[in-house]
Amino acid sequence: MKFNPLACAAVLALTSGMAWADGHAALKFAPGEDSAFNWASYEDFAAANDFSGQEMSMTGPWTGADKELVENMLAYFEAATGASVNYSGSDSFEQDIVIASQAGSAPNVGVFPQPGLAADLAARGALAPLGNETADWVRDNYAAGQSWVDLGTYGNESGEDELFGFFYKVDVKSLVWYVPEAFDEAGYDIPESMEDLKALTDQIVADGGTPWCIGLGSGAATGWPATDWVEDMMLRTQAPDVYDQWVANEIPFDDERVLEAIEEYGYFARNDTYVDGGATSVANTDFRDSPGGLFEFPPKCYMHRQASFIPTFFPDGTEVGEDVDFFYFPAYAEKDLGKPVLGAGTLFALTNDSPVARGFIEFLKTPIAHEVWMAQSGFLTPHKGVNTDTYASDTLRALGDVLLGATTFRFDGSDLMPAEIGADAFWKGMVAYTGGEDGASVAKTIQDRWSSIQ
Amino acid sequence: MNPMVQGILTIVIGVGGCVGYFYFANLILDKFIFPATGPNPGHNINRANQVRPWLFLFPAIFALGLYLVYPVIGSFWRSLFNREGSEFIGMGNYTALWADEQFTTSLFNNMLWVIVVPAGATFFGLLAAQLTDRLKWGNIAKSLIFMPMAISFVGASLIWKFVYANDADIGMINAVRAMLGADTPVDVLQIPFWNNFFLMVILIWIQTGFAMVILSAALRGVPEDTIEAAIIDGANPFQIFFKIKVPQIIGTIVVVWTTITILVLKVFDIVYATTGGNFGTQILPSYMMSYMFRDDGRATAVAFVIMIIVLPVMIWNIAQARKEMR
Repeated sequence: MKFNPLACAAVLALTSGMAWADGHAALKFAPGEDSAFNWASYEDFAAANDFSGQEMSMTGPWTGADKELVENMLAYFEAATGASVNYSGSDSFEQDIVIASQAGSAPNVGVFPQPGLAADLAARGALAPLGNETADWVRDNYAAGQSWVDLGTYGNESGEDELFGFFYKVDVKSLVWYVPEAFDEAGYDIPESMEDLKALTDQIVADGGTPWCIGLGSGAATGWPATDWVEDMMLRTQAPDVYDQWVANEIPFDDERVLEAIEEYGYFARNDTYVDGGATSVANTDFRDSPGGLFEFPPKCYMHRQASFIPTFFPDGTEVGEDVDFFYFPAYAEKDLGKPVLGAGTLFALTNDSPVARGFIEFLKTPIAHEVWMAQSGFLTPHKGVNTDTYASDTLRALGDVLLGATTFRFDGSDLMPAEIGADAFWKGMVAYTGGEDGASVAKTIQDRWSSIQ
Repeated sequence: MNPMVQGILTIVIGVGGCVGYFYFANLILDKFIFPATGPNPGHNINRANQVRPWLFLFPAIFALGLYLVYPVIGSFWRSLFNREGSEFIGMGNYTALWADEQFTTSLFNNMLWVIVVPAGATFFGLLAAQLTDRLKWGNIAKSLIFMPMAISFVGASLIWKFVYANDADIGMINAVRAMLGADTPVDVLQIPFWNNFFLMVILIWIQTGFAMVILSAALRGVPEDTIEAAIIDGANPFQIFFKIKVPQIIGTIVVVWTTITILVLKVFDIVYATTGGNFGTQILPSYMMSYMFRDDGRATAVAFVIMIIVLPVMIWNIAQARKEMR
């Protein structure tokens, strides 16, 4: 066969064109197409950073549907810089990351669902500081920036405070999910206060329905949804500074004010007629399966208190805003504590410093890194520079409004407590309480454990 | 590098290294240190023969010392220190354990596990071995019973979680109850005290296959003539089994029993994956996990308690196994 340079060039062009197309097919939203996105920030970042051929490992708590979402975001970083990112999600991230960092096999980036755990690791010297520049950036570009800097700042090995955690992806927790159609049919109104919510709960029972779906199951982390309930109740029965003292153990766990919040949770969860399946099913029902009861016909329950990430676990094809909606978990009208909002977030930390990992943190500062997840689901951001039009739905935008409408914002308390308490004793205690154990003795057990580690 | 190539290379270097060590160490000993030549070759050969066992034993002793003896001593030492490992507190961790209600619960549950699981697995294993012994399709039955052995503890736990599910549409137990007319499903993993037994069933299910295989081999080894003699003497099948066969394989039964006992004392996966230690099902290994990497002093103390409990069983097990070999 005669050598034909033209044909060779054509083949080359074709294959490289295919490779190009392949690379971009992985991106959920084609760069440059939808003008709502801040593509300029993407192009600028791509032009300024090149990590071709480099690898970055990352572990986090996101598995299943969440894993796809984070990988969709990571694809943009990969496309922009040529780096390849290995993300692995784990249900027991809290244990795994400690083991990996002690074994010296930590991933480059760890995604911490709990500041308390990150603080623990920072104190052991397992995290690399992000530097003042990033701290300034967060302060300037995040709404309530200083609070996010404070939440990501911990003492290092020698006790000096440095910024270790970069918050990305925030959840609002004080939400109650419901199916508007079911509410319309039964003629229920959205409760405006805790008194109304309790009245509605009784009303539903009187009408022969079951008001709540509650599930605490989460593998080795079983019990955490109950801690959110108690924290929300704490913010609705006590002033925010009492909440802060509780989280810092300045008031004991078996203080009567804490006990009151626990009993408020028990008011809902330990009543057989209030929860789907009866009180005993609460402790062992997986939190991911729990909201399923809303969508049954006739509904197994009418309300589900859970954070803003939960639509990820709704049945396929559920339209948030149409098939299901949420309202703010109301505060007591008589208590005058304003509109407290409980929230949480994941923070990215460098568990194994490398240039590409630093580059990734820089990427998280770009609006596009937030917008591509905002346009999917389950993502809220305090980033002031993003275009809120990119939120996938009005619902997500409304969630952002809950965040903005809060008179008090507090971070999930169990995540701020030492890991032994917030990620073990509190969980187990709440499971025991839900199972019928006495609140005071549960609280005392938790306080004993807390005392033993001080 | 291609992981395949890497793996092969590791094997070649590893095996080659071992063979090389023995070959060259032996060679150096014979040719250079105590050569069978020179002024007194006979004396040299004797001395070389005295050194040789130690030379060959050295890698094993070194590896065992490094990976077994050192960690045991190191763990015990660590258990005498506080949470951060910075302050010596003597027996503080151990006394704190005794004061902890969770610990006593775990200890009690562990005792239950140690009694019930080996007994159950050995009993069902012996039963299966005897019943399938002379059946035509016995081997198929045996493979089915053995199959759970191939499933990881966590996998098995998840399978059984479906069996126990608090929902008559998923859980088998609740489906049966619903069939018999029960209105509401029960969560068997939340029934105080008895939930422990539901978890033990999982391990018995896994370990029965192991017991069956070993015991079935032992039953085959029972001399035919003793059985024939018993039949001629008019013994019924039960007498043959309990008075002729079992006494002859009692040594094997003990070894199987103790081996499973040792396994029981290390298993934490089942509790961890099903209840996470909630509802009063905590056992020592899963209790240790809740402290591990947070309060290493306390965790190593628990580890040491487990070791002390395992030790007598282990010594007995080894003694029995050695008796078998003779």
